[in-house]
Amino acid sequence: MTHHTNTNDPYFIDFPGRIKEIQAEMGTRNIDLYLGSRLRTLSWTADAFCPWRSFVVIPAEGLPTVFTFVIDAARVADDSWLGEDNVMGFAPMGGQDQIEQISEFILENLKNGRGRIGVESGMSNYLPEGWLTHYEYSQFQAALSGCELVNAHTIIDKLALIKDEGTINRFREASRIVDVGHQAVFEAIRDGGYKKMTETEIAGIAALAMRRAGSEWEWSFTGGNEIASGYRTGFAGGACTPASRRALQAGEPLMVDIHAMFKLGLGDHSHNYLMAPVTDRQWWHANNFVDIVTKTLETYRADMTPSLIAEKMMGFAEERGFADYMVPGFEHGIGMAGDEWRIGLNDGPFPYWTNPDHVYRENELLICAMQYACPEEGIGFRYENPIIIHSDHCEPLSKFPLGVDEIK
Amino acid sequence: MTRTYPYLSQQWRDEAEKRLSTELPPERMNFVTSSMSNIYRNCPPDGSEKYLFFQFVDGKFVEIQVGTGQPPKAEFSISGDYQTFAKITRGELGAQKALMTMKLKLKGNMVKALKLASLADRLNKVLATIPTEY
Repeated sequence: MTHHTNTNDPYFIDFPGRIKEIQAEMGTRNIDLYLGSRLRTLSWTADAFCPWRSFVVIPAEGLPTVFTFVIDAARVADDSWLGEDNVMGFAPMGGQDQIEQISEFILENLKNGRGRIGVESGMSNYLPEGWLTHYEYSQFQAALSGCELVNAHTIIDKLALIKDEGTINRFREASRIVDVGHQAVFEAIRDGGYKKMTETEIAGIAALAMRRAGSEWEWSFTGGNEIASGYRTGFAGGACTPASRRALQAGEPLMVDIHAMFKLGLGDHSHNYLMAPVTDRQWWHANNFVDIVTKTLETYRADMTPSLIAEKMMGFAEERGFADYMVPGFEHGIGMAGDEWRIGLNDGPFPYWTNPDHVYRENELLICAMQYACPEEGIGFRYENPIIIHSDHCEPLSKFPLGVDEIK
Repeated sequence: MTRTYPYLSQQWRDEAEKRLSTELPPERMNFVTSSMSNIYRNCPPDGSEKYLFFQFVDGKFVEIQVGTGQPPKAEFSISGDYQTFAKITRGELGAQKALMTMKLKLKGNMVKALKLASLADRLNKVLATIPTEY
């Protein structure tokens, strides 16, 4: 695959360089070997989607080795920059279960079978994060009795924070694909096309268009493409709406939040509609929403923090009289598949939540995310778009025009 | 009367080589290049450890060794009790089942091992035809 070998390929990422950076950081922390288990770590080091329980073992020097469920190991080896000698499959067979196979491999890679092993332990709101479980930790500790297991996930978190050009280009392409999906939905629902359509059908129309444009899957664990119509757009504080079988109806809002994946880069963009006839009150809500999104996008830049953004935006909403409808959060983290939750490092007042005083730096990537919800009126809107932080502005990657469109 | 060969003896090894070369030509071995050690624990009469080592290049058996102690380095090693291997060779126990019940332990790349599973079955079936004294 040229994006693994051709440095001129727009999607090229220097994976051997990443591994060397990890190994250098391991050296400064006296860690002899790193045992990664998070989905984000596997994506970031192996450049392969690992949906089954998987681990990556990074020795102090040399190439990493991925361990995954045997049924998927050959495919992972084919997708990854690592060859088949560095992707092992585990299975419920003597000597081949994940604990024994990985433990023996680790012992062979440590001097005298002893050393400090970095592991990934923590918590997340994102279910498929892949932290080492208590059972796995206990089993590895028993099998590696001469070793000390230490929590070291911040090595990866720190190195993965600022995105390189290849990663950003993968996100750009995923966002372009998402825009294709939005256009397909718009074409399908316009001029009365939405009548008798359900939320699941809208999700499927977007999925087909995005797959045709090259998306690998609708990656979000929140149900793939999230679609909400009518009262479902306005759940209090709600920002998770897997598509239901609810039929779209005249006079109601429609929220389309779709996801595409391109080489583990993630597209995530929401667009909102009002089905005619639209009341003045609905337009008032819609205009509030568009105005605050516009203002937020104008505000993001390096040196801002999540709390500063929230303070400014909630101040604006208060001035305009719609603060009651705003969820007071304006972003979530994003990175290669599996990295979808906290912004920045684990250094805030609440462990494993975004640090409100995290200072954005150039080439950080995040999802600008806003939820406007008025449950009592059954109306709400969502905005999500990957943005790149630049020194004096932010760059939204999805280009589908911002607005709340009326559908006749 | 049919001649029998003591299991894992030099005579048994020679008979194994003769039968494998005749019955498993390179095309039946998928022209594979690999190596494999069977490590037998608790061998009678003294509980010693023995090995059976195979090396094939382009599907041709180029080396078959029996011995005691450390086997030559192989791409795959399968270790287990002498009696477990004996049951497999007599056709009383499947190699897959022995692995899945932890009676045998496989070391090596599982993905590559999957590609060789059917070849190992063929090989075991030929060895099972050798009149053997256990």
